[in-house]
Amino acid sequence: MTTFLKAGLSALAVSAVAMSAQAADLGATDEPIKLALNEWTGQHVTTHVAAEMLRAAGYEVEFVTAGMLNQFQAIADGDIHATLEIWSSNVSDQYAVLKGEGKVEELSDLGLAAREGIAYPAHVADLCPGLPAWEALKDCAMNFATAETLPMGRLVDYPADWGTPGADRMTGLELPFKAVPAGSEGALIAELRASTEKKSPLLITFWQPHWAMSAYDVQFVDLPAGEDACFTDPAWGPNPNAINDCDFSASRIFKAGWPGLKDKWPAAHEILVNYQLAVEDQQPMMGAVDVDGQKVEDVVSAWMGENEAKWKSVVDAATK
Amino acid sequence: MTDTNSTAPAIAVEGLWQVFGENASSALRDARGAGDDKAIAKELKEKSLIPAVRAANFEVKSGELFVIMGLSGSGKSTLIRCISRLIEPTAGSVRIDGEDILQASDKRLIDLRRHKLGMVFQHFGLFPHMTVADNVAFPLKMQGAGKAERRARALEVLELVGLKGREDTYPRNLSGGQRQRVGIARSLAVNPDIWFLDEPFSALDPLIRRQLQDEFLNIQATLRKSIVFITHDIQEALKLADRIAIMRDGEIVQIGTPEEIVLHPVDDYVAEFSKDVPKGRHACVESILMDGIPDNMPDDPGIKVGMTLDTALTKCMELYEPVPVRDAAGKVIGAVHPHELANALQAEET
Amino acid sequence: MSAAEAVPVSGGRKLELTRGSQAALFVLAVVLTCRLLGAQFEWLVKWPAALTVPMTDWMTWLVGGFLDVFKPIARAFTFLVSYPMEGVGWLLNALPWPMTVALVTALGWIIGGLRMAALGFFGLMFVVFSGYWTEGMNTLALVAVSVPLALFLGTAIGIAAFEFPRVKGAVNALLDVMQTVPTFAYLTPLLVLFGFGPVVGLIASAIYAAPPMARNVLLGLERVDTEIREAAVMSGGTRRQQLFLVELPAATQQIMIGVNQCLMAALSMVIIAAVIGGFQDIGWEVLLTMRKALFGQAFLAGSVIVVFAIIIDRMSAALAEPRPQQDRKVAFGILGAGLLVTLWSVIAGWSPSGFAALDGVAAWVDTGVGSFTGNHGATLDAVKNTSMFYGLLPLRIGLAEAVLPFTWGFLWTAKHTAMLYGVAAVISLILILKGRVTAGLVVMILAYVAEIGIAHLAWPVVIFGAGAIGWVAGGWKLARLAVTLLGLVLISGLWERALLSLYLSGAAVFACAIVGGALGLWSAMSTTAWAIIRPICDLLQTIPLFVFLIPVLMFFQIGEFSAFLAICMYAVVPMIRYTRHGLTSTPDEILEAATASGAGKWQTMFEVRAPFAAPTILLGLNQTILYAFAMLVIAALIGTTGLGQSIYLALGQADVGLGITAGAAMAILALVADRLVQGFAEERRQALGL
Repeated sequence: MTTFLKAGLSALAVSAVAMSAQAADLGATDEPIKLALNEWTGQHVTTHVAAEMLRAAGYEVEFVTAGMLNQFQAIADGDIHATLEIWSSNVSDQYAVLKGEGKVEELSDLGLAAREGIAYPAHVADLCPGLPAWEALKDCAMNFATAETLPMGRLVDYPADWGTPGADRMTGLELPFKAVPAGSEGALIAELRASTEKKSPLLITFWQPHWAMSAYDVQFVDLPAGEDACFTDPAWGPNPNAINDCDFSASRIFKAGWPGLKDKWPAAHEILVNYQLAVEDQQPMMGAVDVDGQKVEDVVSAWMGENEAKWKSVVDAATK
Repeated sequence: MTDTNSTAPAIAVEGLWQVFGENASSALRDARGAGDDKAIAKELKEKSLIPAVRAANFEVKSGELFVIMGLSGSGKSTLIRCISRLIEPTAGSVRIDGEDILQASDKRLIDLRRHKLGMVFQHFGLFPHMTVADNVAFPLKMQGAGKAERRARALEVLELVGLKGREDTYPRNLSGGQRQRVGIARSLAVNPDIWFLDEPFSALDPLIRRQLQDEFLNIQATLRKSIVFITHDIQEALKLADRIAIMRDGEIVQIGTPEEIVLHPVDDYVAEFSKDVPKGRHACVESILMDGIPDNMPDDPGIKVGMTLDTALTKCMELYEPVPVRDAAGKVIGAVHPHELANALQAEET
Repeated sequence: MSAAEAVPVSGGRKLELTRGSQAALFVLAVVLTCRLLGAQFEWLVKWPAALTVPMTDWMTWLVGGFLDVFKPIARAFTFLVSYPMEGVGWLLNALPWPMTVALVTALGWIIGGLRMAALGFFGLMFVVFSGYWTEGMNTLALVAVSVPLALFLGTAIGIAAFEFPRVKGAVNALLDVMQTVPTFAYLTPLLVLFGFGPVVGLIASAIYAAPPMARNVLLGLERVDTEIREAAVMSGGTRRQQLFLVELPAATQQIMIGVNQCLMAALSMVIIAAVIGGFQDIGWEVLLTMRKALFGQAFLAGSVIVVFAIIIDRMSAALAEPRPQQDRKVAFGILGAGLLVTLWSVIAGWSPSGFAALDGVAAWVDTGVGSFTGNHGATLDAVKNTSMFYGLLPLRIGLAEAVLPFTWGFLWTAKHTAMLYGVAAVISLILILKGRVTAGLVVMILAYVAEIGIAHLAWPVVIFGAGAIGWVAGGWKLARLAVTLLGLVLISGLWERALLSLYLSGAAVFACAIVGGALGLWSAMSTTAWAIIRPICDLLQTIPLFVFLIPVLMFFQIGEFSAFLAICMYAVVPMIRYTRHGLTSTPDEILEAATASGAGKWQTMFEVRAPFAAPTILLGLNQTILYAFAMLVIAALIGTTGLGQSIYLALGQADVGLGITAGAAMAILALVADRLVQGFAEERRQALGL
């Protein structure tokens, strides 16, 4: 589970960005286009919508179950042809290498608005008056202290392989918190669950859209806005001597594919490049799957039927 | 391959050495200069090598039952494995029907084993995953014999060893005695000329052992194989052997007929072996014939050639003068003194 | 020198130094040097960064080159293997579920009568009701191809080691490496080599499952009776005929043990293979549910693997035993019933996929874990804090840093340090005066460890300490091995992480030795206890380890204590099994002799059984150590530091060099610990003449 589920998108919309694209060749319609299915529900929704669009254009589509971090080798090898929801905050180094070598092609942003930040379950506000203002953490750090972190408070950070953004914030803002890497997404969720059950203090690095945000009523701490200058200029922000003394920079969510995609299935390439999805549309579908227990296929096909306007134009632009 | 002829011994062993340890053969070559065999062995031991068989020399005649006897660790099992080339001897030669098998190629050796040699093991060495019949037929399978032929021959040999009807059981369902019958049957399946038996009856109960010894003698009476038989039991050796070789510390200390071993042990070691042996039962009157025949022998209790000392003594318990010994035809061929008879038997009680 | 024959030194008698006390004296000298001079010469404590070797980079370069060369061959292999794999997968999926159930039940009937048939039937029906039928069949397809591959590989290695005694040493080392290098460490290179997809999982599990087969083939061949071997030679068989017609069949029993272990290992790997994805199987399901921290569901999915493991284990074990002929009509009857149910399910249109009759139970378990956490939060925290404050923390960073007003109620000062060493010195002196020189010296060394903590130990202490233990356990050769291997870790720059791993697994092994030993003893004394403990042991060994991380996390949150518990849960099993086995397998004659001497139950246990069981128990400890290291990597999922995390990081970043280097470092730690314990076990065995 090095892979993480960073998603849980909460809303989806195919933005019908007006496209003046030319109709392209369909290419090899007798061979299936293979799309990666990663580990989280939001990605499943995103991928199934794309698959339905490709099918509407006349393609065969196959799903390949693949780990988020290890899928890029498969894409480079042509075993998978596209993956549709990559989070810039935790993409493996391998992706950059393969992209640099021209073995993987980036296919533009998905348009899904995401946010990462320092967060806490709602009940914690009682344990640390003054939240969500970040300054409140200075005084109630000891409330968050545990055996491992003494005499500092404890911040549950992302698993080590996603980087250490939480720890960077604490250093930048000089907050008396020690970051403990979570190890896996499951561990993060378990922390949220346990904290909610026990009504115990918890400060955690988290992101949205994610189903747990609403399930455990997670709130973000208000930090100074994450402008570019914050990450390069120590003078910027509340701490004149450090960088990172601000919130996370906005995450980018994008798509990538096999470089041969363009030649083999030109129209599909165009569809995938222009495919856009917004939080407001994805969120209800995720809820239907994770909370109501419906099947992804059913949820997506229902949505496709009701929202033809949101995707049809992209398909038509590429094929007609 | 040397010419084989009927007068050549079935097995001829010459200067056979088996030394265990690192670089044994060069060490043995170096040690040769030390002098006689004892000195060589001593020098090898000082280099912490183990001379398990030292300069063994003997011949087994065609149809002869040759027993090698010694205590455990005396090298007798090693010796039989050298002769069958289950292990590579360090030096010397082993001729089977005139052919030096130590020089034989692997292919020739396999061929010899497939047709000419049979072996019986102390703990039977049966293949646990095969039925009795398959065990017995295994050497035939190696020869490349067909299935039906193998089965027929296996049943034939099994009948010979008295295991008719047990051919489809597995060895684990047999008693020790029955297992060894299977072992014997297997070694006879290809009708070998040379038969090696490595303590075949040692693992059996005394009663079963005696029974199998008798049957073995019966089989041998009809088949007349050339046999090398290993045992640590002097009684067994005396009962079965045409000739016996006694081993001690890897060395053959005496070779002779059972009688010679019993009556004329070359040293205390051999004597110690035969100490508890009722000599009267093994030695015959011929072995203590007087020099010359006295003219006047008043008594004639009817001593005949081939009569054991025991029997002879009972016939002349009350006699004090030499008595004649006659052959089957009744002709006097010698004489024994009753006094000598008693002396020969008394040796065992000291 | 035992206490009984010891004479007080005061009599002017010269102290005799045993091997153990010489080694302890040497280590104490190293400790004193490092402790006293460490402040002035920093290199005595911390290996200078300038002297570390960029082993990770070298490894990246080396492995990279290797991968480039072998990639085409590996890809061809992938291509070949994907056919049988898809074939088996297709077959298992195409076969209607009632037919599969009927086939397995009928097979069970033929193998082991009613008991096996019932096992097969209820086991597979559980899978049907769990709703994981398709995933389960995919998992079986993976195992069905990887196991023959592992069996073939293992047999070939075993035969090679037997036929060519020269390579035996090398082969044994290779098997050790295959078993101790964490799988995660070589998943990435495998991925590059064999391409993406289930084949990588298949190969990873074959690599992991082959060693037990190889070891058992070798052992089996070595144990074939010499006379059986000679009988084959004298029958005129060629070497190949001897091997395949006689020796291998004669070794069947031992080899079947290997087959059984191979199956189990392959099943346990299935889940780890899922980490790299690419397959709709049980492993993937467990990962998905774990991601949502749904213990009940993860447990349910994991149970499917447990069920498979139990069915395969029991049936393959029964296969190795002679069995009575069963009535074949019954088997045909079962198949017929299967056919009828198939017809019904086709007509009724009922399919087990997504059936999930047991989801209610799973949800209930899940809620249970949640509410338990909620209701007992304070107690759980108290347990955790106590263990951390008084156990783990001091062990890691030493009393000097762990004792704080917040934890122990006071601050550690130089005064306390002096007191610690003072008390240790007094105890040590008393022990030495009583003649127990080694124990006395060890007390002083332990005092140093207690003050400093394992994570801060000076490197000479660790390396020469291991060397000294090696010298006592197995002479110079073992000492050299320990020092060289640990030296490699030292200069690789992974030393600090290695110490953290050493601390966590050390603490877990220590706890397992005590708890497992006690449970083993209890199981040996009472059959009721064993009846309870045994199925728990089975479960702990076959269920995917991940599953247990969730409740542990819920109760104790991310951190060392959770990792410690997770490692203990897994590693305690061999300790229990071996302790019990050792204590109950004392020869009857010895027990009768003890009874005849008037020994009571407990006297017999401690005076007779325990000493006799010592080598077996040491072997169990050895296994516990290996298990603890294996679990260390998985524990990285709940946020530990140390080598496990490095390996994990490397996997995520597809960093081949770091993965292999950290994996090798982990294997080195495990290997050194393994050899040291084996050295002692061997010494005990010889002392007992076993």
